[in-house]
Amino acid sequence: MQFRNLIEALDAAPPGRPFITAWIDEDERATVTFGEFRRRARGQAAVLRKHGVTVGDRVVIIMPQGIPAMTTFAGAMMLGAEPTFLAYPNFKIEPAKYRSGLAGVTANLSAKAVVIDEEFPDDMLGHVALEAEAKLLRAESGRVGDREPEIETPRLPADSVAFIQHSAGTTGLQKGVALTHAAVLRQLGHLSRALKIDASTDHIYSWLPLYHDMGLIACFMLPMALHVPVVMQSPLDWVMHPETMLQIIGEHKCTLAWLPNFAFQFVPRRTPQSRWTQYDLSSIRALINCSEPVRASSMLEFQTAFAPAGFKASALHSSYAMAENVFAVTQSEIDQSENDWPTGPARLWADGPQFRGAHQIVPVGEGSSGAVSFTSSGRLLPGQEVRIVSDAGAILGESYVGEILVRSDCLFNGYYNRPDLTAQAIVDGWYHTGDLGFSLGGELYVVGRKKDLLIIGGENIYPQDIEEIVSAHPAVHDGRVIAMGAYNPSVGTEDIVVVAEVEREELLASAAEIESEIRSRVVAGMGVAIRTIFLKPPKWIVKSTAGKAARSATREKLVREHPELGVDS
Amino acid sequence: MTEEAQQMIEHIARLIRKPGVTLDENTPLVSSGLIDSMALIDLLLKLEDLTHMRIPAGKVQPKDLDTVVKMFATAQRVGKPQK
Repeated sequence: MQFRNLIEALDAAPPGRPFITAWIDEDERATVTFGEFRRRARGQAAVLRKHGVTVGDRVVIIMPQGIPAMTTFAGAMMLGAEPTFLAYPNFKIEPAKYRSGLAGVTANLSAKAVVIDEEFPDDMLGHVALEAEAKLLRAESGRVGDREPEIETPRLPADSVAFIQHSAGTTGLQKGVALTHAAVLRQLGHLSRALKIDASTDHIYSWLPLYHDMGLIACFMLPMALHVPVVMQSPLDWVMHPETMLQIIGEHKCTLAWLPNFAFQFVPRRTPQSRWTQYDLSSIRALINCSEPVRASSMLEFQTAFAPAGFKASALHSSYAMAENVFAVTQSEIDQSENDWPTGPARLWADGPQFRGAHQIVPVGEGSSGAVSFTSSGRLLPGQEVRIVSDAGAILGESYVGEILVRSDCLFNGYYNRPDLTAQAIVDGWYHTGDLGFSLGGELYVVGRKKDLLIIGGENIYPQDIEEIVSAHPAVHDGRVIAMGAYNPSVGTEDIVVVAEVEREELLASAAEIESEIRSRVVAGMGVAIRTIFLKPPKWIVKSTAGKAARSATREKLVREHPELGVDS
Repeated sequence: MTEEAQQMIEHIARLIRKPGVTLDENTPLVSSGLIDSMALIDLLLKLEDLTHMRIPAGKVQPKDLDTVVKMFATAQRVGKPQK
């Protein structure tokens, strides 16, 4: 891309072209053109400047998803400041968890300004960590004024930080990833070519949160820098009424959208079958499965449901992406030909015992007994390199499963203010993703998370967080707790299963009461519910040689005793 | 108690499936851990159904849904009549 920075790219957009349409409900939506967006962003820049924000300052934005949040973000970038979006409090986020996360993240960023909206709940304000000089700003509502504010904006060198996006992390320890203009523009250039973006015909649909890389990069920075219109709705409105996604795509003839795996099942299941054919999804040319391990069965469910609505099988795609790499590492190949045969993600069947035991992919025929199926996340984008390594760090060849390491021309330089975490994550220029996967025939397959991270409805849950809470219960033997994910095919995401040892065998008599207390504590601390708790007598959990609870061995023992768990698909 | 509130209580009882737990319109649901975030979505949908309102989910905080009484008050406060 020919631009030196993202603001230059925004400035080059045709002023009259629609940029963002915020879909509020059936009869309310707000649209800004690129010209109007720029004008409002300059207005926000002027407000921030008035409050002393300048080059290199962090600006934290905690506003509901919408145009004002986005103009504030762009306005901060215009000043050479480093904006970041944090999640706005909502009914789905447990207040205790939200407060501790907010306090931790804002403290680490030492922001110059924290911008909130007029309705930000007062009981959360005390948890925004503010430096002595920092300002808490209530976003100016409405229009900034008719005249384009005249503010002097600094030159923004390509290698200066454009913004900070947050990666997933243990509660309160979300890691800030500072990204330069050059890195973001290189990523967008790769995506533009891989997705064959045509700004005059493409139209993006999104319900993805802006504090997540899929929402921020694919559905805000990409349309901003490539001048593609985007129609968006709030993640909460989508989760309440996922069917509205179908309506919006049809009304706006959207061509591109990104979704986490669970959404491919959630949308058809939450839309009455009698209405499946009412929508027109024929405009979609790429619906990209990203951010959770890709499962062919979920994509097939969507395709089967909406084929009569004009959804093309060839529109099913996948990508492997992470905040640390700006966004995508891989993308399945997009074929512009009229050929309706699926060209998207490759799929293969492998021998189950070989995969689990020898960590090797031995292809077998479709539907062979004990076979496991994998769906590719696509091919490497230009400038990306991937290595698969064993636990001991040895580089593995094709078809061996190991940790995925990434090196690229858009990789981050480190976690903001966390040299300790950076040193663990980047070794000799290679980013250790913590994901497990393998390459075969030029395709990358992601199979799971090294650290046994649980992904619940698109949200990353660290089992250690749950184990800590459960361990704190007086009836539970401290440290003898394992939390794990069990894939629930009916919802397309993982459920949490906990196995815990009681202190004394006789406590099992009051198992029901203990279970209910544990459930309350986990919901209060994490905002997620446990599907099943298995209380076991002392010494049930398998220990490692170091005396710690051994996760994988315990998991195997539990599945042996409770085959109904069907852990993993 | 209104008929709608009674219907909501019955709905919640079916949802949590916990014999022995008695619910009334002032039973704390969120703060007690009886229901979690995925269930709250279901409750909001039920609330829309019972009140014939469209409830903008972004304007709802967990404390607004902690009891059946609070749920109906929230619907009155932020809801828009459904077409």
